[in-house]
Order: sequence, then structure tokens, then C-alpha cells
Amino acid sequence: MTFGDFQAVKDTSFDLPKGKFLTILGPSGSGKTTLLRLIAGFEKPTVGEIFINGQPVNAVPPYKRAIGMVFQKLALFPHMTAAENVAFPLKMRRHDARNIGKQVERYLELVKLGGYGTRRIHELSGGQQQRVAIARALVFEPDLLLLDEPLAALDVKLREEMQLEFRRIQKELGVTTINVTHDQREALVVSDEIIIMNDGAIQQKAQPVRAYRAPENPFVAHFIGVTNFIEAVAVSANGSTVTLTCKGRELVGVLAAGSAGLAQAARCTCAIRAEQVRIAPSQDRLGKLETQVRGQVNDAIFEGERIVYEIKVAELGDVLMKVFDHDPVGHLQFGPGDIVHLGWNAKDLHVFAK
Amino acid sequence: MRTYRVAYPLTWRAMDVLEAFVAFVWPPSFRAAVPYLFLLPALILVGLLVLGLIQIADTSMRVLDRDTFLLSDAYSLDNYRRALTEPFFATIAGRSIIGSLIVTVITLVFAFPYAYLMVRTSSSALRKFLLVALFLPFFIGQVVRAYGWLIILGNQGIVNDILGHAGIPTLRLLYNYPAVLFGLVQYMLPFAVLMLAPALTAIPEELEAAAGSLGASWLKTFRHVVLPLARPGLVGAGLVVMTLSLTDFAIPAMLGGGSQDFIANAIYDQFFRTSDQGLGATLSLLLVAVGSLLVGVVFTAFGAGTLAMGGRRK
Ligand SMILES: Nc1ncnc2c1ncn2[C@@H]1O[C@H](COP(=O)(O)OP(=O)(O)O)[C@@H](O)[C@H]1O
Ligand SMILES: [Mg+2]
Repeated sequence: MTFGDFQAVKDTSFDLPKGKFLTILGPSGSGKTTLLRLIAGFEKPTVGEIFINGQPVNAVPPYKRAIGMVFQKLALFPHMTAAENVAFPLKMRRHDARNIGKQVERYLELVKLGGYGTRRIHELSGGQQQRVAIARALVFEPDLLLLDEPLAALDVKLREEMQLEFRRIQKELGVTTINVTHDQREALVVSDEIIIMNDGAIQQKAQPVRAYRAPENPFVAHFIGVTNFIEAVAVSANGSTVTLTCKGRELVGVLAAGSAGLAQAARCTCAIRAEQVRIAPSQDRLGKLETQVRGQVNDAIFEGERIVYEIKVAELGDVLMKVFDHDPVGHLQFGPGDIVHLGWNAKDLHVFAK
Repeated sequence: MRTYRVAYPLTWRAMDVLEAFVAFVWPPSFRAAVPYLFLLPALILVGLLVLGLIQIADTSMRVLDRDTFLLSDAYSLDNYRRALTEPFFATIAGRSIIGSLIVTVITLVFAFPYAYLMVRTSSSALRKFLLVALFLPFFIGQVVRAYGWLIILGNQGIVNDILGHAGIPTLRLLYNYPAVLFGLVQYMLPFAVLMLAPALTAIPEELEAAAGSLGASWLKTFRHVVLPLARPGLVGAGLVVMTLSLTDFAIPAMLGGGSQDFIANAIYDQFFRTSDQGLGATLSLLLVAVGSLLVGVVFTAFGAGTLAMGGRRK
């Protein structure tokens, strides 16, 4: 999809089985909204074809596609009540007028807004407006539900509550759903499947656990979770196990799925999650962790349930590593300047070819 | 203290002096009166208008003595009786009111798509073109524009020229009712577009997309979403167009050629042709009354809030 000569969505091809909850995860400006607008039919693809229920739909106008969409800014009709908003798609689709009232009431109940039907939109709270928007998008039993970051504007507590709501409603109705977000937590929590997008292109498509545990490229590793990157050069490979060297130090890691066939002396990017690095005051406390390095504490950030240490590791070229400590002793164990020992297992070090 | 004050720029110190001066003439305890102070010029202007109206009301009750051409000293309602019963005035009033209603409807119908396109188009070149085309007539003025129509629509005008080449006999395009209405619509269009554009800008484009995804065709989206939300703009634009055309003078005078007088032309005649200031004043007051009545009816029908003055709309 191009705007002028700008390609907002590039080579993007995926399919989605019925009843699944797919999340498209990507930073702002990565083309998520454009992709949804293409699927909904508000934009025409410059090249390519979109199929819904096996039917090509490029020539079908939005109002003839059975797609419910919840917009980034909700787009509720301000001149109608909550119930009138929910009834709108039924009226437009010429449903039997005698059943509309019942259907609207049923869906308002579903989103836990029974009894709020007569309220005007501006008389509802942010979370309630959210629910009206969902009911309106679902009431006509669409083939596909599209969610364009509708939770982005809510505060954290409400957002987490609504994420679970989305999941509950989606499971209850079994409606095929594409959700778009830049919130990695949301993607992991609600989805059956995640597509990570950047610059209008798909970076990886995987189930949440795999997307987190087995990122296929540095972008995915960087975008989901807190990840440390180490530049290294490959020495030898044995199956997917790779031996590398960084500033003369030997590292062992696992080749990522997207980086098959590593050449000798190839430059690589290695990634390790902050929570997979153990931190200890002395080497003997690290036990049998396969890779162990020495570092100096640069900063210690108290985040409540965990402490984030920033450790400068001289052996690896002064790289700054983030390490989580889930505060087992109830106070900051280390302060800036302390010498600490870090350790991790080889299977947790993801190796990406450059 | 003096040592660091030197470091401040001169403009700052000028501002200090100014503030001290303002505090002296207008002490902070007077602050609450400031908004009313700003209101004063407007109040004076409106007040003058009311004084003028009282003067006109006084004149309207004096009858012209046809022998001396002086107004009577005694008050009477004779002028009102004439204005309300003589068929001549009824014709003019009917022509003006019906004309202004027709002009309002046609203007809104033309202005809406224009404003909509101007607001919604993604091409900034087109938007600029539409804006310039909108403002151009303002630079020309009403009389010159009416004169332009005389040139274009006259018996020897461009339109009849072209028709002549096509073998169609010369048409009388001027000095009739349609010509006046046409001129008024053309004159009012920019006002209506200018009043509609902000109202349409206030409707998020996403609402229309939403209506589409919910199953509303373009026409239904227009009918159920755009039109209701544009109502404040439509009512405002309609009021302006209606009152301006009801009271217009130049277009009926020039494009009607004396045969299509509106109320303002009749008033002019009374004041400056027959010198019957009493009757002229009466007609003026009746025009004010009719205009106010129309505005009042619109307000009660749609509520004053429709002019986006209620502030209830979010
Ligand atoms: N109508 C448009 N005209 C031109 N560029 C657009 C338009 N819509 C989106 N873009 C561009 O396409 C890119 C992707 O936008 P979008 O799909 O809104 O991203 P996201 O929703 O992931 O934040 C952005 O760089 C944006 O500037
Ligand atoms: Mg977006």
C-alpha cells in the first residue's frame, strides 16, 4: 500500500484461521492502522489481494464486508445514545425491527452495560465507551473483528482489565479477531498468534510463547521484552549451537530460526533477556551457569517487584547489560561501583546472523 | 538588588514600567471589571442601534401630508394599516420572504458539497483552489458583481451570444424573479460555505469510516451521521443566508430592474423617491419584525444550542 511514493505496508502476507485471535504488534508508524484499513476496505491495496472466507474482497466496498471494527478513537456517534449506537449496524443492515431491541440488549449485557442503553455517549466513562464500541462492532455478528489500539488511551489498570474482557468476549463468541497494538504485554496476554511488524513489513509470526522465547531477528528480540545485545563473531557451529568470540572471550549460543547457515567468521548479533541473566556477588554463587562474566554496577533502579541493574561488562567490550533481580532479600543488594558476577545458560543466548 | 537588575534586557524593564503604570491607573482590585470594560464598545454600538430603532418607531407613526410634504405631529397607525392592507406591499413582502426561503434552500444545497469537498479532500492543491475561489467574490463586492451579471446575462451578453450561435433566439435572462434569485444564490454561496466548513471540520472523518464498516452505504452515512452532526452549521448558515437575502437591496434592484423589488427596495423608494419617511420607517420596522420572527422560529425549532453556543456537544 503506497501513499504517494511512500510504502506504508510492504510485502505482507498471512492467513488467519477462523475463530483465532491474532495480534499485530509494532511500533507507531509501522503500518498497523493502514493494514487494518486495507482489510476493512477503507483503502485499496496498490497491489495484492485480500480474501475473507476464501472470497477476494478488493472490489467489495466496506459496507458490504461483514467486518466489525473498533477504532483507535472509538468513533462512536455522539448524537446517539449507547443503545442507538449499538442498533446502528442492525438498522443499516435492515434487520427485522422487532428483534433489534432484543439483540441490542443482549450485546449490551455481553459487555456488561445492561441498563446503560439510554445514556448518551458523553455521559459514559472511557471504559464504558470502549464497551459500547465493542458491542457495536459485534452486534451484527461479523465474520471478522478488527481492533485498532482501542485500549491505548486507557490507564494501565483499566487497560489490563479490558484486555481480559476482550479475551473473554472473543472466546465467548468465537469471532475471528485481528487486534493491533504497540503494547507487547497486551499482545502476549490476549493473542493466539502474534505478528510483529516494522516499517510496513512482517518481522515474525508466532504464538506468544514462541515470539518471546524464540525471536527470529534482533528487531523482535528488541521489541518484546527487555533484551541485551552483544556483538560477536562466529567461530564454529555444531547444528544450531554456535560458538562465538567477543573481544577474545568465548560465548556459546543458539542460532535463531531466521538465521540458518552461518558462515565462518560471520559477524553476529547475540541477544539475551534481562531476566535470564543471574546476578551474584561471587562466582561460586552462580553455580553451573555456562557463561559467566564479571561486571561493575552502573545503576540500580528500584521498580517495586524487581530491581533493574545496569551492569558494565568490560570483558564484552564495555557493553551495558540490563539484569533483573526479583528482590529476594528485600533491599538493594548492590550499589553503583560494586563488582558483580553475571551468568547465563548457552540456550538462552540467541544468535542472529547479520 | 540594583546590581542584578542591570542584567535584564531593556525590554523587560520597559515592561516593568508599563506594568507599574497599569497597576497605578487600574489597581488589581478593579480586575473583575475588566471583562465588562471590553464589552463596553459592543454595548455602545448596540445601544446606538436601539436608539435608532426608537427614532424610527416614532417616525413610523406620523403620516405624510401630501400638500406640504411634512410629517404630521399627531401619532396614528395609518402607515401600519397601509403597509399591512395594500396589496402592493403584500406582493413585495411575499416576494421577499418566499425568495429568501428559496435562496436559502438552494444555497445550502450548493454550499454543502462545496464545503464538504473543501474539508475532506486529501489534495491540498484542490483545497487551496476551493478556498481562493471562495474568497475571490468577496474582493469584488456586491454591486460590481451584479453589474457583471448584467453584462453576462444581458440581451447582447455572452450567454445570449452563445445561444445565438446555436440558433436559439435571444432569451430575456434579466429583470425577472429567477434572475434575482440566481444573483442572490451566487452572492450568498461563499457565506454559507464559510459557515458550514467549520461545522464539517468538527465531524471526525473516522465517524464516516465507522458508519461504512457498520453497513451504511455512502448515502446512509450522509443521512444518519453527517447530516445530523452538521445541523448546527446548517442552521447557522441557513439563518445568515435567509436574513441577508431577505434584507438585500442591490441584487433585486439591479437584476430585477425595478420590477422585482424586495422590501429594502420599497423602503428606499419611500425614503428617497416619495419622501414618505413615515411609511418608510413603518416598512423598516416590519422588516425587522419579520426577520426576528424567522430567527425566533428557527431557534425554537432547533434550539439556540444548535449554533454551537450551548457547549453541550463534545
Ligand atoms: N493517508 C495517508 N497519507 C500518507 N501517509 C500515510 C497515510 N496514512 C498513513 N500514512 C503513513 O503510513 C505509515 C504507517 O501509518 P499507520 O498505518 O497509521 O501506522 P500505525 O498505525 O502502525 O502507527 C506512517 O508513516 C504514516 O505517516
Ligand atoms: Mg495506528
